[in-house]
Amino acid sequence: MIRFILADLRRLWTGSLVVVLLVALATALGVSVVLQERALRLGSARAADRFDLVIGAGGSETQLVLSSVFLQPSPLPLMSGEVLARLTADPRVDWAAPIGFGDSFSGYPIVGTTTMLAQNLAGGLTEGKIFAREGEAVIGSAVNLPLGGEIKPMHGSLEEGGETHTELVYHIAGRLRPTGTAWDRAVLVPIQAVWHIHGMEAEEHAEEGADAGHEHQEAGADHDGHEHHGEPDPDAALNETWTVDAPGLPAILVKPKTIADAYKLRQEYRSGNTVAVFPGEVLTNLYATLGDAKQILVAVASGAQLLVAASLVLVTVIHIGQRRRQIGALRAFGAPRGAIFGIVWLEFFFLVAVGIGLGFALGYVAALTLSGLFSQTSGIAMPVGFARDDAGLAGILLAFAAILAALPALLAYRQSPAQALRA
Amino acid sequence: MLALDIENLTVTFPGLASPALAIGRLSIDAGSRVAITGASGSGKSTFVNIVTGLERIREGRIRWNGKDITTLSESRRDRFRAANIGLVMQEFHLFPGLSALENVLLPARLAGAATAAVIERAHSLLNTVGLSRPGQKIETMSRGEMQRVAIGRALLRKPGVIIADEPTASLDAESGEAVGDLILDLAIAEGSTLIVVSHDQRLAGRLDRRITFRSGRISDDSTAAGEVA
Repeated sequence: MIRFILADLRRLWTGSLVVVLLVALATALGVSVVLQERALRLGSARAADRFDLVIGAGGSETQLVLSSVFLQPSPLPLMSGEVLARLTADPRVDWAAPIGFGDSFSGYPIVGTTTMLAQNLAGGLTEGKIFAREGEAVIGSAVNLPLGGEIKPMHGSLEEGGETHTELVYHIAGRLRPTGTAWDRAVLVPIQAVWHIHGMEAEEHAEEGADAGHEHQEAGADHDGHEHHGEPDPDAALNETWTVDAPGLPAILVKPKTIADAYKLRQEYRSGNTVAVFPGEVLTNLYATLGDAKQILVAVASGAQLLVAASLVLVTVIHIGQRRRQIGALRAFGAPRGAIFGIVWLEFFFLVAVGIGLGFALGYVAALTLSGLFSQTSGIAMPVGFARDDAGLAGILLAFAAILAALPALLAYRQSPAQALRA
Repeated sequence: MLALDIENLTVTFPGLASPALAIGRLSIDAGSRVAITGASGSGKSTFVNIVTGLERIREGRIRWNGKDITTLSESRRDRFRAANIGLVMQEFHLFPGLSALENVLLPARLAGAATAAVIERAHSLLNTVGLSRPGQKIETMSRGEMQRVAIGRALLRKPGVIIADEPTASLDAESGEAVGDLILDLAIAEGSTLIVVSHDQRLAGRLDRRITFRSGRISDDSTAAGEVA
């Protein structure tokens, strides 16, 4: 029987190929949607995993997470620098690092922060050392620049037509280990330098409380009296002792000592002028929305699969009609009806099963390609992989194919050989 | 070797006033060789379909060695036909992509009856019908060779009766003659009853008995010796 089926498929190889490709493409569509959605979810969850607690000024929690965890450029409201001083002194805090955004260099976001974050973010460097002076920078693993290279910060981003700061040029001092997060594409510089470039001195040199709660772009005009006004010194040593007078900050990354501390801190900094979020929690809410989108995509893919299934049924029914005489002859020469059913069923099922298998491979490759492209632009590693659920999906598709294949097989089974031969 | 007995057979098709086939009584002895002739539309093909059990009838009895096939289910009729009737048709119904040997064996394989002995017999049958290359692909053969393969297929399971429906009609005169001889010789050698539907006068003339159909009825029934009583 198998020999007969193979001979038949070899003879009808073009048609068989089209059937296999149709099934493969329809399957690949569904598979890639599922895989891509999972990669996105896992990738972003892992990216957020490194950040236990993020504290920012009152406003959108989602925006705070998008900006701090995924480094999506957007103006965040500022909170008082006093918050950082309080956090650093808090015994429940392992470390706390301020982050300041706003500048970029050839598409890479420049993030002002402290040596604390540079040390802890990636768990070490692959080469060089952490910045020790105002004019030094540490780059993420995916930043394609050489050690010792120059970074001229540009205000805003290239797309926004920002202008280049002339006050300071950073030199790359070190490169971080890969983290699989958006921070792999970041240029880390001392936040002190960012403040200097934007004219935001620590308040010991400035008017009392002038910039708390301001957009930091606007805050610049309010300070006075510093000797190096407008001319940041690349060789200046870093001062990372935070006082209550530190300039305004968009976000602070906090590593609490214990989980209990994390909850207590979140509770404490949720009230008043600040928000405290667990990025993972905010993402979960986002996924709830994303889940709906996935369902729509899955529904669209399923619709496409149904259309393909319907057209295949049509094709096979016509095909069986064309081969009535052949089937009738087989019966006349003594082939049992069950064998005829088996041949038609197996032949169709085989084609569809090959198509489904090919579709899974194709979907996997498609998801891998898409994730690769996405990782390149975002820095977030997207793990594409099959899960146990996918075996269920394959099972459902195969079961569906088995039922579909039964239709032409039943037609062949039921037809009268005498009538078929007369036709 | 099978004997055929038909009693009170009437086959009607919807939309036709007169029956397609009506036979009050017909007996064909085991081992006899009978030609069925008649104009097209006279009921010859219906006769073949009925006696082979391909078509079910509502009126009448058809007995092969006393076994009434009209009461059998479709699957049982299939099994009876596979085991007892060797069919040769005008069109060969061979399957391209398979070799001569595979074609001979195909129905037996599908029925799960291809034992080592049957495979052995397939080889020797191909040899008997004059084909020396059992592995030759069927689509590379001449029409005469194809009909030989079909004859081999019909004889594979040592059927008690060989029924050939216009076996020479789609062949040229020369290979038709050879195929006719082959069927006759093999039926004798195998000891099978032979029923040949043909308007090939030369072939029909070589058989013991000739039954002529006209408008679904037997109009003439003669043996080489004279009229059948």
